[in-house]
Amino acid sequence: MNIYDLIFYLFAALTLISAFFVVTNKNIVHSAFYLLFTFFGVAGIYVLLGADFVAIVQLIVYVGGILILLLFGVMLTNKITNVEIKTGTINIFSATIGVGLFAGVLLAAVLYAPWKVTLLQEPVSTTGILGNLLMNEYVLVFELLGIILLIALIGAASIARR
Amino acid sequence: MNITEIIIVSLIKIVFVLGITLLTVAYLVYFERKIAAWAQNRIGPNRVGWQGILQPFADVFKLLLKEDIVPEKANRIVHAIAPMIALFVAFTTYAVIPIGPNVNIFGYDISLVVADVNMGVLYVLALTSLGVYAITFAGWSSGSKYSLLGGIRSSAQMISYEISMGFSIGGVLLLAESLRPIDIVNSQAGLWNAIIQPIGFITFVVSAFAETNRLPFDLPEAEPELVGGFHTEYSSMKFAGFFLAEYANMIIASAMIVTLYLGGWHLPFEQSLGLSGSWLTVFQITSFFVKMGAMLFFFIWVRWSIPRFRYDQLMNLGWKVMFPLSLINIIWVAVIIMITN
Amino acid sequence: MNFTSDLYLIYPEIVLTATLIVVVLFDLIFKRSQSWLPVLSLTGILAAFIFVVMQYGTNLPAFEYSTKNSLLSIDNLSTYFKGIILVTSFFIVLFSIFSSEIKSCKDRHGEYYSLLVGMMIGMFFLVSSNDLILIYLSMELLSLSSYVLSGFVKKSIRNSEASLKYVIYGSVSSGIMLFGISLLYGLTGTTNLNEINTILRGTNVIDISFILSIFMILAGFGFKISVVPFHFWTPDVYEGSPITITAYLSVASKAAGFAVLIRFIKSVFFSGISQGGYWNLLSYFDWQVVLVLISIVTMTLGNFTALWQDNLKRMLAYSSIAHAGYILLGVAVLSDQGITSVLIYFAIYMFMNLGAFLVVMLIANKIGSENIDDYRGLGYSIPFLGTVLAIFLVSLTGLPPTAGFIAKLYLFVALVDAKMIVVAIIALLNTVVSLYYYIRVLKNMYLVKDVIKTVHIQLKPLSFVTILLLVIPVLLFGIYFTPIVDFAKLSIQILGL
Repeated sequence: MNIYDLIFYLFAALTLISAFFVVTNKNIVHSAFYLLFTFFGVAGIYVLLGADFVAIVQLIVYVGGILILLLFGVMLTNKITNVEIKTGTINIFSATIGVGLFAGVLLAAVLYAPWKVTLLQEPVSTTGILGNLLMNEYVLVFELLGIILLIALIGAASIARR
Repeated sequence: MNITEIIIVSLIKIVFVLGITLLTVAYLVYFERKIAAWAQNRIGPNRVGWQGILQPFADVFKLLLKEDIVPEKANRIVHAIAPMIALFVAFTTYAVIPIGPNVNIFGYDISLVVADVNMGVLYVLALTSLGVYAITFAGWSSGSKYSLLGGIRSSAQMISYEISMGFSIGGVLLLAESLRPIDIVNSQAGLWNAIIQPIGFITFVVSAFAETNRLPFDLPEAEPELVGGFHTEYSSMKFAGFFLAEYANMIIASAMIVTLYLGGWHLPFEQSLGLSGSWLTVFQITSFFVKMGAMLFFFIWVRWSIPRFRYDQLMNLGWKVMFPLSLINIIWVAVIIMITN
Repeated sequence: MNFTSDLYLIYPEIVLTATLIVVVLFDLIFKRSQSWLPVLSLTGILAAFIFVVMQYGTNLPAFEYSTKNSLLSIDNLSTYFKGIILVTSFFIVLFSIFSSEIKSCKDRHGEYYSLLVGMMIGMFFLVSSNDLILIYLSMELLSLSSYVLSGFVKKSIRNSEASLKYVIYGSVSSGIMLFGISLLYGLTGTTNLNEINTILRGTNVIDISFILSIFMILAGFGFKISVVPFHFWTPDVYEGSPITITAYLSVASKAAGFAVLIRFIKSVFFSGISQGGYWNLLSYFDWQVVLVLISIVTMTLGNFTALWQDNLKRMLAYSSIAHAGYILLGVAVLSDQGITSVLIYFAIYMFMNLGAFLVVMLIANKIGSENIDDYRGLGYSIPFLGTVLAIFLVSLTGLPPTAGFIAKLYLFVALVDAKMIVVAIIALLNTVVSLYYYIRVLKNMYLVKDVIKTVHIQLKPLSFVTILLLVIPVLLFGIYFTPIVDFAKLSIQILGL
């Protein structure tokens, strides 16, 4: 195990453990706090993968925007901090079987998949490459994203209005 | 340079930058009080040392010796972490701000920036967005209504102005074609960005004021309404942490304004001065600090001259004025690029 | 790589996007004249329709970034489905003009129409996209708009419930689909459907992760076309949403889902064509068995659950699940003939399902209920609407002389030709079951006399014309169906194979 692997496992553990706490924690504000570490872990993995731009954007968008808004909603709704989020029915037995099966299939898929392997490349700054891709080959996708965001804005406004 | 040399050089840079920053922060507080006094036609601190020059140290001792009070209802861990986040964010941001061109010392070619990150600008944005957490955490964990209101106000404000801030930077990036601060500075060697894109300059400066929670946007800590805002329940060194972070943020904001819009270390006529290499470098570094000082003075000047906004006015300004203006700026820059190419 | 030269291939999409922007701006500037918004949308739809008609017959890749790699495939299949989507949208906008549910939200019409147009854009890209990224994004665009629209009338609790359930199911399914796409990308290193096909032909590895990724992607499609086991959202969402949106989801959204499903199966797995026009698929698993099983379970569940529904909207929701099952059988034949039957089915299903929803809406506008018990004696107090509803329901059952019969006929012929006799018999039995619940409505309308209630509905000329526009094709195609069949036969062409 070289240092690269070590860092990867560190970030992966951070992501997974904090994600576990996000789900299991009873206090919703604490869950939101743990989510912060999940996002950090993911950003770290992006950095390891050489996706520097995506990593920073992950921080700006998820940590700096989405999570803050989430915290915001939690804080403004005073009662929610003490609400039991769990619902009435808990079927531990069937849930364990279902989740276990799914986990098994996923694990098998991940372990035995003949992943497409590309040669290791010297990490370069991806910003320019990404920009070029978005403006040339995937310009249609880029424009469609614009429409999606516009629709999301209109939809959010529609939901928020009385 | 081998790896040990790089580490040593980086350590020296870090110590240097940290030292300068801490000292500047301390004296910024002093100057703030002096300028406030000047604006209000009074004398200001003048007892400790000559003209009160040792006042900052007295303040630090006072804060160190104070009792650290944590409210009973507070979440102790988060309460303690919040000022640390504030300080961490404030000081790590300096890493990417270049203060001068590469210099040649003892045969080494050294760039005058701690970390020459190729996405420095985004790095600053990301860290600024982390800064919101310090305030949100502080507001939430104190277990006080004033703190919570301050925290919520502040995060809403920072998120709103972050957007126009990001979009104003867009114009700069278009011209520099890079996210590296050094490239951005060098792209302004001829003409400053503030002159090419005045709208972007204005929106950035206004957003910077809002991001640093300075008057006229200091609603998170509006004294008449919220006692002390998010740091109502903080005392002693934890309070000092927020206090330091606020001034450190001011310095960063000034440094960023200088780097992005006022040509960094470049002056338009610098080549015609006929200075030799190393003297030119000294001149350039000095010009960077002078510009930064001027921006800092501007920050303080504004604080003591302009009244505070109302909250809805603040939001309207952010979303309905600054945001469209920053978009117009991007289009403006794009048109310029289209014409010149 | 010069994409501006490809722009003419997406003129319909561009026209729709322009419509979206015009609607938003018009709503912003002329707040008082909201009654113009449907007119604007209709104009945009008509303009897009003209471009779609002009485009028919074009078989070109658009936004080609290298040889054989294009983001969009403009072929007859996509153009056909675009036509269906536009016709449906046209009717839905007409419906919205006289829906009292939509009218009750006076100041939000701008959002309603802009979201409708947004849905159209999403579906347009969905039916012609040839790249998994674009498929995912257009599906998101479609879903986002429909989430909001299904909860549009916020005063009603049912609406909000529908929207919330839709969001939760929808985001889970799109998450699963995205996971599948990422697995597939990890295995093949590309997101382009044709390129995946090329890679699959080269390697012959049967791998659990590959099958898993395919099933995960199918889960996303299955959600859109609401087949078992991804149908749970359908009844609640269909019952809760405004009727216009229910009708739209049950026709247009489903059409787009089927289009992308057909394209995905054929583009990714096609390896050749055998005698009689049956596709040879790269055999990782038996597509036919999977699809037939899903469709049989779907139609049986849909039909049998519809039996004891008292709410007409909910009943139509289950009936639309059953219809999705029938249509999926057409796909399961895995031949050009099967796809032809799917296309015929959709064209006819569009008219009859929209018609049924329209009549239900007009009656609900008046009596404020969709309950079957409230339909007692309606056949006598409103004879015209009663007759029309009867025609639509008979057609949905699939009895002659209505168009529904033709749709089912071609489907069964395709099944029998493919020697899937047992399947055909099961589908036939299902049709018999469906007869019961469709006829139950008619029984309530005509055989149960309710003397107390006399409902009188004065039809406006516009709604009268709309009903005629829907009922005439249902009757006409029942007798004179050659043009639609010929047209469908021409439209099965998929690009890149």
